[in-house]
Amino acid sequence: MSLVAEAFVSQIAGKVPFIHVGNQVVSELGPIVQFVKAKGHSLSDGLDEVQKAEMKAYMELVNNMLLTAELYLQWCDEATVGEITHARYGSPYPWPLNHILAYQKQWEVKRKMKAIGWGNKTLDQVLEDVDQCCQALSQRLGTQPYFFNKQPTELDALVFGHLYTILTTQLTNDELCEKVKNYSNLLAFCRRIEQHYFEDRGKGSSSIRSS
Amino acid sequence: MEQIAKTWALREPARGPWFLRPGLRPTLHLSSTAPALRCPDWEVPVRKLPSAGVLPAFRGDSRSRSWFAAGAFLSPQRAPDLDGQQAPRPRLSANSNRLLDGPRRGGLGGKSCLASLCYTQGPVRVVPDRMPPSLGKGPWSLPASPSRSSPPQKYNADYDLSARQGADTLAFMSLLEEKLLPVLIHTFWVDTKNYVEVTRKWYAEAMPFPLNFFLPGRMQRQFMERLQLLCGEHRPENEEELEKELYQEARECLTLLSQRLGSQKFFFGDAPASLDAFVFGYLAPLLQARLPSGRLQAHLRGLHNLCAYCAHILSLYFPWDGAEVPPPRQTPAGPEAEEEPYRRRNQVLSVLAGLAAMAGYALLSGIVSIQRAAPARAPGTRSLSMADEEEDE
Repeated sequence: MSLVAEAFVSQIAGKVPFIHVGNQVVSELGPIVQFVKAKGHSLSDGLDEVQKAEMKAYMELVNNMLLTAELYLQWCDEATVGEITHARYGSPYPWPLNHILAYQKQWEVKRKMKAIGWGNKTLDQVLEDVDQCCQALSQRLGTQPYFFNKQPTELDALVFGHLYTILTTQLTNDELCEKVKNYSNLLAFCRRIEQHYFEDRGKGSSSIRSS
Repeated sequence: MEQIAKTWALREPARGPWFLRPGLRPTLHLSSTAPALRCPDWEVPVRKLPSAGVLPAFRGDSRSRSWFAAGAFLSPQRAPDLDGQQAPRPRLSANSNRLLDGPRRGGLGGKSCLASLCYTQGPVRVVPDRMPPSLGKGPWSLPASPSRSSPPQKYNADYDLSARQGADTLAFMSLLEEKLLPVLIHTFWVDTKNYVEVTRKWYAEAMPFPLNFFLPGRMQRQFMERLQLLCGEHRPENEEELEKELYQEARECLTLLSQRLGSQKFFFGDAPASLDAFVFGYLAPLLQARLPSGRLQAHLRGLHNLCAYCAHILSLYFPWDGAEVPPPRQTPAGPEAEEEPYRRRNQVLSVLAGLAAMAGYALLSGIVSIQRAAPARAPGTRSLSMADEEEDE
């Protein structure tokens, strides 16, 4: 499903996630939030300026650490690449293209890793970074239901998206999942959001409880 | 402070603006002479964090002092929080590593050097090494920090921070790296006017003779490629729009920093921490450089609390270089006068070298020959004899 979406979007907007509203397609979290805000809905209206600054900073932390670590694990760890990523990425395409496109994507991701300084990192270092990021998020969340007390914000959505994906995706290496599971309040946070917002779909597809 | 200033002065000539003397970047020195960057033999008395930036006194030899002054690793201990939780502390080893690897790693040359310099001179608090190995999982580090193998040192600028403040530090460092760094790279390296008039000149002046012709260009190509990789994948079709968006995000980032700082002296109260050094490393070059086209600079100058913050740090920790935030138009003559003797000397030397080369070629190839004959010859016969000699050859 996600691969079909990616193929579709790559011709129109370029990136997932995307929303299709009328004849407009808006992709990526930032523009989607702006679009929805322009329509009059915003999750972070109740925050003051300092809290908004913190929210943006934490969102960048998640993008910087978690997203990059996920990309690293998928494309720079040879075991995962060979067993899962190549097959998954190339599956919509016929025979020569599936290998070519997969290698091309891998080369692009490796170049990007080198540009941001992650090219020489080992897997252990990446996992340590993820651990620090999760620790920061865990410290920030504390015992509250959401990051900014009672109301969910864009940060909650972003963190849930990443953590849920990490917790529910089966990879050859389960260490990433284990790192996140060390923090019980993050686990409880994900379960709470899943139950509250996705309880209709949580029964059929994979859920955090089953992993 | 004077010792450290002298050490720096001995290492590099005082050319160019103080905050971006690329020669100060210790790549040329540390990578060859300081393998471990440790300071094991020091006994530093334990003191409370001073509020005025007075350095602790060192009992060590002058070599360790100079290592320290060169912005050595300062990775804080993982000290327990007040309620016993493990409080992760960010450390500047990423910046120090960028220090070691110089232009290959990126960063803005002077920015990471500046952050480390500010960190070492300012908020270093000494805590005794009381971390048993079982408690910590290892100290925090900045994003993209490659080195974990260096042992924790005895210095910790974030000792007084709570766990949440430590988490905030990491978050704000990520924010700066994601939003502000691409635009700073663009401002200093990609924008043609700025690059030609400011950045290339700085680096070329600080580099020795054969390197100053091609290294700045190479650095520029690396930075452009890096910028392309970081941002170009989003919307490659319209560069101007992309630029506009990047600058808008950077302005927003600066505004967020300003809101977070508020009216405090430092980000976490009255005492500086590693986040302050990090932010200062980004903001000070942008604020102080005399850029011909500085849209972001204009925006930053409009945020008065950030300007006051930088000026405050400058006055506390870099007093020998002048603490004010000078309006750039008022002192154009000063640094140009400094460069003047070097420029004139270089011009004279190059003219002399050219003349010597031409004269040498002329003598060696026989176009002109020195005659030892009597000086009473008429000019006409002299020219005849020269022509004869040429025919002989």
